[in-house]
Amino acid sequence: MPEIRVTPLGAGQDVGRSCILVSIAGKNVMLDCGMHMGFSDDRRFPDFSYITRSGRLTDFLDCVIISHFHLDHCGALPYFSEMVGYDGPIYMTQPTQAICPILLEDYRKIAVDKKGEANFFTSQMIKDCMKKVVAVHLHQTVQVDDELEIKAYYAGHVLGAAMFQIKVGSESVVYTGDYNMTPDRHLGAAWIDKCRPNLLITESTYATTIRDSKRCRERDFLKKVLIPVFALGRAQELCILLETFWERMDLKAPIYFSTGLTEKANHYYKLFIPWTNQKIRKTFVQRNMFEFKHIKAFDRAFADSPGPMVVFATPGMLHAGQSLQIFRKWAGNEKNMVIMPGYCVQGTVGHKILSGQRKLEMEGRQVLEVKMQVEYMSFSAHADAKGIMQLVGQAEPENVLLVHGEAKKMEFLKQKIEQEFRVSCYMPANGETVTLPTSPSIPVGVSLGLLKREMAQGLLPDAKKPRLLHGTLIMKDSNFRLVSSEQALKELGLAEHQLRFTCRVHLHDTRKEQETAVRVYSHLKSVLKDHCVQHLPDGSVTVESILIQAAAHSEDPGTKVLLVSWTYQDEELGSYLTSLLKKGLPQAS
Amino acid sequence: MEPAEDWLVESLRLYQDFHAFDLSGATRVLEWIGDKGILVAGYESLKKNEILHLILPLRLSVKENQGLLPERDFKVRHGGFSDRSVFDLKYVPDTRLLVTSGLPGCYLQVWQIAEDSDVIKAVSTIDVREKEGHLWPRVAIFSSAAPGVLHGARLSSLKVVDLESQKTTYSSGVSDGELLSSLQVLDAHTFAFCCTSGRLGLVDTRQKWTPSENLRPGSGSAGGRWCAEAGGRGPGPSIASLGLDGQLCLLDPRDLCQPVSLVQCPVSTPSPDPELLRVTWAPGLDNCLAISGFDGTVQVYDVTSWGGTGRQVEPVFTHKGHIFLDGNGIDAAPLVTTHTWHPCKPRTLLSAASDASLHVWDWVDLHAAC
Repeated sequence: MPEIRVTPLGAGQDVGRSCILVSIAGKNVMLDCGMHMGFSDDRRFPDFSYITRSGRLTDFLDCVIISHFHLDHCGALPYFSEMVGYDGPIYMTQPTQAICPILLEDYRKIAVDKKGEANFFTSQMIKDCMKKVVAVHLHQTVQVDDELEIKAYYAGHVLGAAMFQIKVGSESVVYTGDYNMTPDRHLGAAWIDKCRPNLLITESTYATTIRDSKRCRERDFLKKVLIPVFALGRAQELCILLETFWERMDLKAPIYFSTGLTEKANHYYKLFIPWTNQKIRKTFVQRNMFEFKHIKAFDRAFADSPGPMVVFATPGMLHAGQSLQIFRKWAGNEKNMVIMPGYCVQGTVGHKILSGQRKLEMEGRQVLEVKMQVEYMSFSAHADAKGIMQLVGQAEPENVLLVHGEAKKMEFLKQKIEQEFRVSCYMPANGETVTLPTSPSIPVGVSLGLLKREMAQGLLPDAKKPRLLHGTLIMKDSNFRLVSSEQALKELGLAEHQLRFTCRVHLHDTRKEQETAVRVYSHLKSVLKDHCVQHLPDGSVTVESILIQAAAHSEDPGTKVLLVSWTYQDEELGSYLTSLLKKGLPQAS
Repeated sequence: MEPAEDWLVESLRLYQDFHAFDLSGATRVLEWIGDKGILVAGYESLKKNEILHLILPLRLSVKENQGLLPERDFKVRHGGFSDRSVFDLKYVPDTRLLVTSGLPGCYLQVWQIAEDSDVIKAVSTIDVREKEGHLWPRVAIFSSAAPGVLHGARLSSLKVVDLESQKTTYSSGVSDGELLSSLQVLDAHTFAFCCTSGRLGLVDTRQKWTPSENLRPGSGSAGGRWCAEAGGRGPGPSIASLGLDGQLCLLDPRDLCQPVSLVQCPVSTPSPDPELLRVTWAPGLDNCLAISGFDGTVQVYDVTSWGGTGRQVEPVFTHKGHIFLDGNGIDAAPLVTTHTWHPCKPRTLLSAASDASLHVWDWVDLHAAC
């Protein structure tokens, strides 16, 4: 039975560590290779032993696909390729390829330098891993090999994020990664065509939420302001927002952007303008949306200037560098505020203040008292329950699979999807394999001669009813053709065999064979009104092409033997005649 | 886009907190389960409607350290499907049961919120006496060890049915067929009713039908539509009655015949759908109420020292979010279908509109009186 198998890897139900194994028509693909930021031990990596207990991953997997640069989707990639061992191709979009190594290196530094972890991947491993990457463009069909092809679709969410279609023959799977269905200020909304995959795989993390509108999130942010940022991702969005509202609100307070990594970020965004939304692309021509009027480069001396100001600073978890410097200067004043834009790893200052700690021990045993307000804001854009329904409506899959959720908590969503779209919805736990039977269509070419012969039979084709055709299927290389039997014989150089059946029916009849034959003829003629029954000069009787001959029994003169003979093609009529004759002949009048 | 952004900037001054959500279908009900969850339900007539149990974003439920909670989204905790439109929904306290009413109105549906999954399932029905399918019965719950369901579309069909045994424990026993617009349980033995004509009464179920009633509102409301709510906090009248032209009548339950005040609220038009008229008392503020059902706004009033008739009144706050944040591009301005106060946060309200929007807002008292 042809089937598609899906196994989400890793343990635990919480978000993080996205890694899904898909087997489709004999091909094996790994989707994403994420790290769980909450754990410091092996639990942070997916459980790769599910893939294959023995044997090399490179031989087993046909390719790895990474959807976007967030660490919970690519964080374990260097570990996987360099420490576990994989040398095959790794596919991702160009922006992802450019940005991934930066985040991986950033994270590696925190893990090793800050937390003193051993057994972590090295900078060289990140470089070696990225050498295996093949970049793909949006909507470009990429042939991984003769049979397997992939295509990336725009996913919104972050720069370079993509949804991927994986196709082998007529079977296909679409993996959404993280996406969002509402455009924001710098990115568009996810979009996919009516590709009708056998299966759509999507995250269920936010499937049971109803999302607060983007405007309200922005409003909240505007009410407040020191933002240590992950240099890439939301910073651009927030800059554009502030720039817009500073104009409208005629604000005078300066906005600063700390230099270094963030300059690189703007550089990347300019590079990847095609990946931003329509509005930005349009205005970029008039003026560069990433050059801001109200936002200037920061100088460390500014931290001591009087008066209010807004500063975007890195690194994002306040664990080192400029953001930590500014934080130390400003922490003691309750009129100040720090906004943390994302998850902070345990051990960093960011994590401590988000846990409510207000007295921090800095190096040299100095204690820093934190009087400034601390706000935790989430800026990441995910699709919610409504968004998932929209995407399923766009792609029109035959089946839907949700990962990262608890089945019991998603029964309603499952019913909703199943009812609205008349599809089956699966929710495997991590490590559990879902097997989907598929009925792939096999294209077969029908010969013109055969088609013409069928048409000549007079019946018009009916689009709604299947039509029975007799022919010979010739499978050569990867080619399937349906031809008439005669043509097949000719092509293959075979002679046609004739199968002939002969049956003996014993009749009690004392007269001569010739008279028995006449009796048989009269009987059959009267019974088989729809068939051509003939009495030939040599005494034999024919019914269509079936031959009946009467002979005397070799030992018993009172018994006549009827030889009924027919070809394989006349099997039905032949059997019928035989049973009819076995019933005996009517008495001669 | 521009007016929306302007309003957003304005909103920085007008609201402490503001959240806006889009439901998959518009709701006419906002029913609390505890103080952390609400129930909403769809009211479309030709398709399946969803009944959802939503958990408020965490930052709206905690009292301190709100800043440390980034979650701003509603969580769908339970959901179910209804073939009928749902016009009224009541939660039976201390149980996992809900009662809904809609069209056709010949029965009420009882639902159960599952314990081990996220499904809301239909479990039984309650027959109503009134067999007129085009009227839907109002519902209120007598909560006790043996909960009773008070329901009726007309005064004559008012009765209380024991939820478990389905036996009728109280019946109005009157032949008066006046149409009801609202029912409200006040304590273990008392309930209030309001008819569409504006006739109000308080009924003691221990006695034969002898409600204390008001005089019908004056001729100015001929052909009008009314709804009411009891429950004001603080000294002063605790029953408010709202008419479709925007007349607001305040009454003292001890003497329903003498309204304490009768004012005209400044509404731009009479309510286009009087079934959506709502008047609610603030549980956390003295003499404060809110009205909706006229347009896309919710108006909040401070009724302290209102007295007499013909007084000019102005709302202390008007929520216009549903008008300005209508991002769907639909031409018709949305109509607020219902609103409710947060049980614990004094100035927080939830409001829903016909465009399926749901807002949670905490208004700033610029007058500092309420």
